[in-house]
Formats: sequence, C-alpha cells, structure tokens
Amino acid sequence: MNYGHPLEFGTFVTPGNAPPHDPVALAKRSEELGFDLVTFQDHPYLPAFHEMWTLLSWVAGQTSRIRLAPNVINVPMRTPSVLARAAASLDLLSGGRLDLGLGAGAYREAAAAMGATVLPPRESVDALSEAIDIIRALHDVSSGRPARAGGTHHRIVGAQPGPAPAHHVPIWLGALKPRMLRLTGEKADGWLPSFRNVGRDGLVAGNKVIDEAAVAVGREPSDIRRLLNISGTFSATSSGFLQGPPSQWVDELLPLILEDGVGTLILATDSPAIMETFASEVIPALRAAAPAPTTFKPSGVRAKRRPGIGYDELPASLASAAVEPGDVEYPLVRSNYMRGGSPGLVLRPSTDAEVADAVAFAARHRHLPFGVRSGGHGVSGRSTNDGGIVLDLGRFKDFEVLDTAKRLVRVGAGMRWMEVAAALEPHGWALTSGDYGGVGVGGLATAGGIGFLGRKHGLTLDHIRAATVVLADGTIVRASPEEHPDLFWALRGAGANVGVVTSFDFQVPEVGDVGWAQFVLDASDTAQMLVKYGAAVEAAPRDVTPFLLMGAPQPGQPHFAQVMAMVDSGDPEKIIADLTPIASVSALYDQNVVIAPYAAVIANASSEPHRGQGEPISRSGFVRHLTPEVAAAIARLLGSGATPFFQIRAVGGAISDVADEDTAYAHRSANFQITALGRNRQRLDAVWDREMYGVTEGLYLSFETDPRPDRLTDAFPPATLSRLRTIKAAYDPTNLFRDNFNIAPSESAA
Amino acid sequence: MTDYGQDLLFGTFITPSARPVQKAVELAVAADEYGLDLATFQDHPYQPSFHDTWTLMSYVASRTTRIKVAGNVLNLPLREPALLARAAASLDLLSGGRVELGLGSGAFWDGIAAMGGRRLTAGQAVDALAEGIEVIRSVWDTSSPGGVHVRGTYYTVDGAKRGPAPAHDIGIWVGAYKPRMLRLTGRLADGWLPSLSYLPGGPSDLTEMNAHLDGAAEAAGRSPSDIRRFLNLNGSFSAESRGFLDGPPDQWAEELAGLTLEYGITGFILAADSPAAIELFAKEIAPATRELVAAERS
Repeated sequence: MNYGHPLEFGTFVTPGNAPPHDPVALAKRSEELGFDLVTFQDHPYLPAFHEMWTLLSWVAGQTSRIRLAPNVINVPMRTPSVLARAAASLDLLSGGRLDLGLGAGAYREAAAAMGATVLPPRESVDALSEAIDIIRALHDVSSGRPARAGGTHHRIVGAQPGPAPAHHVPIWLGALKPRMLRLTGEKADGWLPSFRNVGRDGLVAGNKVIDEAAVAVGREPSDIRRLLNISGTFSATSSGFLQGPPSQWVDELLPLILEDGVGTLILATDSPAIMETFASEVIPALRAAAPAPTTFKPSGVRAKRRPGIGYDELPASLASAAVEPGDVEYPLVRSNYMRGGSPGLVLRPSTDAEVADAVAFAARHRHLPFGVRSGGHGVSGRSTNDGGIVLDLGRFKDFEVLDTAKRLVRVGAGMRWMEVAAALEPHGWALTSGDYGGVGVGGLATAGGIGFLGRKHGLTLDHIRAATVVLADGTIVRASPEEHPDLFWALRGAGANVGVVTSFDFQVPEVGDVGWAQFVLDASDTAQMLVKYGAAVEAAPRDVTPFLLMGAPQPGQPHFAQVMAMVDSGDPEKIIADLTPIASVSALYDQNVVIAPYAAVIANASSEPHRGQGEPISRSGFVRHLTPEVAAAIARLLGSGATPFFQIRAVGGAISDVADEDTAYAHRSANFQITALGRNRQRLDAVWDREMYGVTEGLYLSFETDPRPDRLTDAFPPATLSRLRTIKAAYDPTNLFRDNFNIAPSESAA
Repeated sequence: MTDYGQDLLFGTFITPSARPVQKAVELAVAADEYGLDLATFQDHPYQPSFHDTWTLMSYVASRTTRIKVAGNVLNLPLREPALLARAAASLDLLSGGRVELGLGSGAFWDGIAAMGGRRLTAGQAVDALAEGIEVIRSVWDTSSPGGVHVRGTYYTVDGAKRGPAPAHDIGIWVGAYKPRMLRLTGRLADGWLPSLSYLPGGPSDLTEMNAHLDGAAEAAGRSPSDIRRFLNLNGSFSAESRGFLDGPPDQWAEELAGLTLEYGITGFILAADSPAAIELFAKEIAPATRELVAAERS
C-alpha cells in the first residue's frame, strides 16, 4: 500500500541546551544536506533540553529552506489556543515552513510536577481532539467570525480566528493505541510513530485502524501522510535492523515505503556523519526506487473544487504555488481591492516559463473566465472572477538597475508602485504612477498611469522602453521599438488584450524632493470654483500636477473640494508660488504643505491582503478644459448624489507632447481626466449618460466599469481600435485575453 | 528629585503586527543596527492581527546580534509560568543573554476567557502574578537544592526540576499602575514598566507611584535602586515644539533627561513603527539625553 505522497526525509535532533547551539548547528547541517525537515522532541519538564518552541522559532531565524516540526508537542502542557496563534506566527515568519506534530502527553508525573493538568489516557485523547479543533478553528479565517471549539478539556469561546498561517499547517499525531489511531484517521494530516515503538507489525495494524477511521468519516486514507521516526548506525557489516552498510538500510527501508505507505522517514541522530551518509547514500537510492508521487491534495480541499478545471493536470511547475478554494491561503487571494471574487484556481508563477505554462493551462480552459492580476487594484479589469482562473503575477518582484547613466531600470510586473518608488529613491529617481502606492505595476503600466508627476514627466507608459511579454501561444518575447514594434505599441494602452507582461524596462527621470500639498477649497458654487480651478491648473507650470476630489454635497455642511497636488521641486518658495494661484480660486479652509521624497508621498498603502466585496461601479471621461458647460454638468452630477467619490486628475503637459497615434493610449489632448465612482450602476449610468457623456471625450479604461459595448470605442478612437484589432489578430487570434476592454481580433487580418 | 543613578537604556515598543509578516522583525533589526538597547513587544494572544509575542521575540532574537528582547508585557494568565521560565532560559542561552522578562497580570479578561484562559479579578490577578514570579525565579535558581515546590492558590509547581539556569540574571519587569501592583513590583521585581499614556496626570503621577515602589522595596529589605524604572513613551517629532515629547530632538533630550533626574526613569521605550523614528531616537535623542544626564549627575 502506498498513499501517493511525495517522499520526504527529516532529522530528529536532540534539543539539548549545553552547549546551547548544538541543536541549531545540527538543524543547519540538516538543511545543507538537503533534508526536507528538522524536528525536535518536546519535554518541557527536562531542564537539560531547550524549550522546544523557543528553539524551533530560533532555528526558523537561522535557516531558509528546511521545514520545521515538533516531534511531538506535549499538548497537555500547552494552551491550545495560544499554540494555534504561535503556530500561525511561526509559519508566517518562516515562510510556510511549519508542520505540527502533536501528542496526547507522556511522562505524566513530570508534567504534573510542572503544574500541567494530567488526564487519564482516554480523556487525554479527547482533550487532544479538542485541541486539534481549536487549532484548526483559529487558523481558518474564511468566515471572519469568532470561533467556538472544544468544550470539556480545552475551549475557545468567541475567539477571533487569525492570523492565517502561510500555508495549511499539517497536524501529525504521535499515535500508538487504537483511540489515538482512530483520532488520526478522523482528524489528522499525518501519523508520526517511532519505529522503535511500533515495529513492522504495528505499522500494518496502525495503518488499518487509521484507514478505516478515515473512511468512516468520509475522508480518504491518502489524506493522512505516514511518517516514521527511525534510528540506526552505519557499519561495514550487519548487526541488526538499520545497523549495517547503507545498502542494507535501503533494503530495510524500501518495504516500509512500498508496502506500508511510509511517506516521510525521520532520522533520529545527533551525529553529522550519520546524517551525511543517510543523505548521500540512502536517500537517493530510496527516491530512485519509490513510485512517482501523484499531485496531492487532501479530500477536504478537493471537495471545494469548482467544475470544469483540470486541477490534477496542473504542471508541477505551477502546482505547488497554486491556490484553490479549499486551501488555507484562499481567503487572502480570492478578492481584489474593490471587487469580491471566488476564482476556481489562482496560479502564482514565478518565472516567464511558468507564466507560459499558466497561459497554456488557461488556453485549455477557454470555457472559463481568465483574469490576469499584478496588484489586484483594477477597477475595470476582472483580475478576479467566479469559478475561473486567475494568473497572479505577485511573485514578479525583481528590481534591477540596467544602466545607471541612462537611468534604465527593469521592474517586475508584480511590484507595487510604492515598492518601485522606494527602490528608485536612493538613486534620486522617481517614476510617476497613480495616486496610490498599493497599485500593481503591470495593470497600471499597460493602461496608462495618470499620476502626480504627469504634467511634468508624462504617463507611466511613456517611460516604457521595452517589456518581456508572454503571448497567448506561450511564446516569450521582448517588445520594444525594434522587437515586435506593433506589440510594443499596443501594450502601451491596451496591454491587457495582447499578452502578459512580466517585466518592464523603464527609463526614469531624476526627481529630487517634491512639494506635496493638500488643501481644502470652498465649493459652495461648485461650477464657478471648477472653472477657475481649471484655468489655474492649465496656467500652472508643468511642475505642478493636482488632483481634485469631491463628494456629494451634505445637508447642513458647506460643499468643499479637496486638492492633492505635487510640485516637482524641493524649493519652498517655488512650491508656494506655483500652488498659490490654484489655492486661491475660492476660500481656503485648510492647507498642509510638506517637502518630501516622492517615495514618501506614495508610501500611502497598506500591505494587507485585499478583501474587496461586490463590484466597483465607475465611469470615466476626458475633457480639454473645465469650461462653464463642463463645470455645470459636474455640479449637476455631484448634486444628484449618485457619486460619493469624484475625482479630476490633471493631465496635459508632457502627456500631450506625445501624439495620439504613438501609443494605444490616445487621449493626449485632454487637460483633465474625470472619474465618478457610484454605489448603484443604474443610477450612476443614468446621471453620467445625461450630464457628462455629452461633454467628455473618450475614457480612461482603468476607471471605467460600464459593460456596454460603446465604451470600447470611447476607450480607443477609430484609428487606434482598427490598428489594435489587426495586432490582436496577430498576437491573440483566439482571443484568450478577453477580460478587460476586449478587442475582438480583426477577421480580415487573421 | 529622585534619581536612582543607573545607566540609561533606550528601546522601542514595536507593534507585533502579523502583516506585513516581517515588518516587526525588520523594525527590530533596524533598532539593533541603530544601537538601541531593547526591542519590546506587547502580548495580546487574543488579538488575531498580531504575531504570537513569544514566537516573534524568539525569531527576532535569532535575527539580531546585540539588542535585547522583552515582552512589554507578557500576558501571564495565558502563559504558564513554569513553561515560560524554561522558554526564557532557553532564549537567554540561545541569544547569549539578550532576554528580559516583562510581565503583566493580565487585562482584557473577555479576550483571555475567549481563549480558554481563567478569568480573575484584579486582586486575584495580582496574587497570581506574585505566585508566577516565585515559580519563574525558582525554576531559574539552580543553586538551591531539590526541586521547585511552589504550592499556590493559582499556580502549583510541585517537584519540577530546576533549570536550566539562564545565561544572565534575567530581569523581571512588571507593568504596574495601582498601589497593590506597585507594592508587588517594589517587593519582587527588577524593573517597573508603565506607559506614559496611561498616566492620567502625566509624568507628575510618577512621584506617588515611585513612593509606593520605594516603600515596598524597603519593607522587603531591598533598596529602591534595585528596581529600574522604565517608561513607555508616545510622542511626535516635529520641527517646532508643540507639547511634551512633541518637538525637535533637543527638546526630547531635555524632557527625557528631566524624567531621569526628577522621577528616576532610566529606561525609555518609544512606541515607534517607523525606521526613521527609531533612527532618530537611537542616533540623536539617546546620546543627547545621556550627555545631559551625565552632566547633571557629575
């Protein structure tokens, strides 16, 4: 019997504390030798041993790859709820490297002398079962509600789950007797006996009890990994079980793997020499002889799978980092900043080749929605979905300076703009992005990038010099003015339609400290204020890029506008001189001006996982000037109450230096970009269509959620759209990338 | 004027947020590099957005080389004292003597009860803390014969072996405000760890609190200088003075030196979650404060 788990090997190191660093050194040695995990026993009543959890946490800080596990925790001596939080913390801090071996307790007198409540054996199994329930409940953040678990021996009563561990922390039980074995089959992820205590017969009998108990509660025997602590010595001649040459060890261990289903062998030794011989001579031979593992997911995870996805066909390159609905990480990756989602599968590749694998996988699932995500802030793009596939580029975080003299940098598509700003700042450089540092690089840079340095330095996409793109057929290409120039043109403004950009080469400007101002203007006469504001902004030097924010007027309160403005100068006198005309267009209620690096201004986002709910509702347009007609329309829009969040971003300046036909972003003659967010689609559409549509030109696709087909022709003027259709036909003829302002491929060109 | 004459210590009070996962660690590493003496962390095991404080402290100690780590303060009702004593001794051995033990009698009893902990009244919690301290000191005390025999109302440790002895004499620092806790601190603790923001009357409240500590210390046959006085600080750095601990670095140094010379505070722990604040505190305010205090004492 083999349960199909990948074969793993660990060490079992004595946690002696004199000298204190001996077990640490053996753990590091285990990592160097390629062991998968290092484990420590837990006997808090023994003063010669380190306290196990402290040692484990210390070792986590001294290692980078090897997994860590107690072998096994003396649960009666610990508070399960605190243990659950500690396990989540250690799993997070170690990057998902914790496995949790638990036991019902041993050395009862010594434990009692420490003050532990020691139960009769039968009740101690019940107590362990409650402890497992408590740990699982506190690790499950999916409901967001306080948890109750346990009852008789341990309990949580309304404790809030969290933090979520970095991965599903498996629970292995050190079980010998039938009640413990049944509990293992019913609730655990692994069985962890020592060969010394069970013997071959005990393994066979134990497996049977566990398998039957698992099936009786609707689980599968393969949900429980079989681990085994072993020990022995190497010698030229045989003197007993695991007492002999490496070939004898292989012969004796192989049947345990092939016939008894052992998936993890844990070598108990404090001898580096035994570890080395085992790693170099026993492990390779066992791996070579063991059956190929199947991709393993427990039955509880498989039960939550969505229809129509070939989960078991995921290539190995993607399987380990992929997240499906039953996985513990799922609540952290399912939603976006403003949109709730329930994707069937989130793929998290880390190399261009893995992105190609992911694109190929998506191409085999044409019947499902397919979203591409960099930072997950997209308002228009569906970078999450319901039951479909999401390609998450969040692991593309590399930043590299390619050429200091030319200020050429390579930026991973999964970086956030505040991370990019922080990386550029030490060089005295900055790249305009949007107004929020949490936005991801890929989505913004392929749509436009209307930011606080826009009038001085242009759009974000105006700084792209080349990009690495994975195409719909899985080809990895470079796009630049010389290589795939059509693709290079299209990805600057319509990137979501033509491929997956994994990294960008940007040429970035020198930017020193900037002036950063926030002020509040009276907007009692909204239209008049906006006309004056528009004129002041257009007259301002290009160094100044202001964004204006308004909401619906509130009864009994003065209507006001909030302005956030950046001045690309560190000179206080120039900053004040540049801003004064804008701040003088109506009564000034409040003001605050600081001089700071661009990176400090844009470091305004949290790194919390997204927890968006529902669907964002947003409309967008451009205007050349805030004319009396436009301003009156805006005043009526705001007065309708349909938009609680309304923004006017200054564009123009350097953005207008580029011709409409030079990029797929073709709104170069505008001086203002206008966005209205709503709560109700019908209501916002009705007011926007009536008041704003006639006075605006085009739209900024990143801020538009109207699904009506006309919006495509607003996003792309006729000449741009025609060229995009031709390029689409060449680079994505089957229309795989269709989830953000889809451009149907031109048939004549296909 | 009360100055107990100890050298000054400067530390940070770092929020143990679990996200971003490594943020608290990075702040502690920065504090270590900038030369602060202490990285301390609050302990609220019922708070799901925080790391487990002991795990975080152990990990931080492993990632730093010089700075000491301490709970500020550990939640004794959810941490069994005998096990905590062994854990502290282990971390002290592993870190080369870089652990101190801040202890509290517990607060937020609804949270403690939700985690399955025992709900105590304020008075019971003070007695439980005294028993806990006795257990912890007994476990560390390997020079006395026999096992640990503490038979208390809240904790009974009867026959457990002593040890391991920590690498250095770990200080027990107590977060205390009310007279009973202050007297316990004066009687049993090596340090006192209140927060300025919890003092309704501001620093002048320290005078009366010090009197409780000093009286209890003397009644127990100890010297008031056996108890180091810490203070958790909240404040702001700004170019112009806007109030107490809200102003430029030289104002901070003068005000902290004043706290040392008037109230005997010799451990300043700044609640700071930004590397810039930690750097300013370590590189400008700490040396300037030390200089002012040294000048006054000489």
